[in-house]
Amino acid sequence: MASAPGGTPEGPAPSPTLPELFLGMLQVALSAFGGGLSAWSQRIVVDQRRWLTNEEFLTGLTVARLFPGPNQINMAVYIGAHFRGLQGAIAALAGMLLVPFSVLMGLGVLYFSVHELPAVDRVLAGVVAAAAGMALSMGFKILDQYWKDPIALLLAAVSLVAMESFHVRLVPLVLILGPLAMVWYWPRQRQAAAMPQKKP
Amino acid sequence: MIWISSLLAAEPVLLALRLPLAALSGEVPRSCPATSLSDWGNLLAVIWDFLSLSLFSLGGGNTLLNEYHYLSVSEHCWLTSSQFADIYALAEAAPGPSSMIVGLLGMGAAWKEGPLWGVLSGVAAEAAILLPSTLVMVAACLSWNRLRDSPWRIAFERAMGPITLGILFAVGLKILHTADTNTPGVIVSVIVCVLMLRTRISPLWFMAVAGVLGALGVINR
Repeated sequence: MASAPGGTPEGPAPSPTLPELFLGMLQVALSAFGGGLSAWSQRIVVDQRRWLTNEEFLTGLTVARLFPGPNQINMAVYIGAHFRGLQGAIAALAGMLLVPFSVLMGLGVLYFSVHELPAVDRVLAGVVAAAAGMALSMGFKILDQYWKDPIALLLAAVSLVAMESFHVRLVPLVLILGPLAMVWYWPRQRQAAAMPQKKP
Repeated sequence: MIWISSLLAAEPVLLALRLPLAALSGEVPRSCPATSLSDWGNLLAVIWDFLSLSLFSLGGGNTLLNEYHYLSVSEHCWLTSSQFADIYALAEAAPGPSSMIVGLLGMGAAWKEGPLWGVLSGVAAEAAILLPSTLVMVAACLSWNRLRDSPWRIAFERAMGPITLGILFAVGLKILHTADTNTPGVIVSVIVCVLMLRTRISPLWFMAVAGVLGALGVINR
């Protein structure tokens, strides 16, 4: 815990100011235009600007995945809050969202202006089929890590059937199943020994 | 010269054709009237909907897609189901986190008031969905040292994973229903799903190829 292994050779840089946080996250968002956002944010925040050690960065990813909200956006919040509290979080968030969100709004205006044209609708019908394939893959992507836990598979199956067949809404589903699952997974001696504690 | 004048003459005809064609694309028949946002009560209710959903965006936010569909298509009738599918595809194709789809939902809700209101409503919706989770995240960062070894944290993390898994499968099926394409379209969806899992090809390529298939009429809905 003393110093980050494989960390930066020159030691950490001084804490970034609010404008620096904004610009840093803007740089991350711009670099990641072709995808790979978290790899870019690691490269820029840890290697280039040396705001965080690698260890701190990985802790951030853990926290960002754990708490509600989009992971990459939570990561920006973590970096901002780490240095400047709420103000820092908002500056980092603004930098992260400014360009992608403006592009999206532009696309949205374009879409709502032309989507009734039959030619546009034909192309979109194809694009939508590809997007549905992407949506289908989301569950399979994380299925592996639960494969050996029958209770986890049961919980997943109950959630799926409740939503798909009985149209249970998300909030009541999480409020009912969540506490039950937490009771089951509450760390007991046996589990605590079996489960390797996640290194932050 | 002749073709220019005939083009000019054709323009009113083309414009007259636009309306029935729009009707054919499935936009006109609405089963319910869209909730208007110019009423303050409605506006606050909608903002409250997004604010309260924010804390339930498990697993990176995609778990909320069924709720978004319910709110914008079934409850408030801002979008048709196929417009929802279009918007989902648009948000996936655009750079940045795909959960920015909320901005497009907000835009759809206010589009008939004009593009400016559409953009403002989009920004408001995105801010509403991000604000609560951001506040929680800030609190979590500041108290992470205490939270890290807490049994609550461990139980929460291990409990939410499987529930997220089930919800993501339900979301995948919902988007597939919403896309509502013909058999070649469904086959393309399944192929894309397999390629997403087995290869590292950028999804934009899949969308481009499928878009061409749509233009050629192979995929339709």
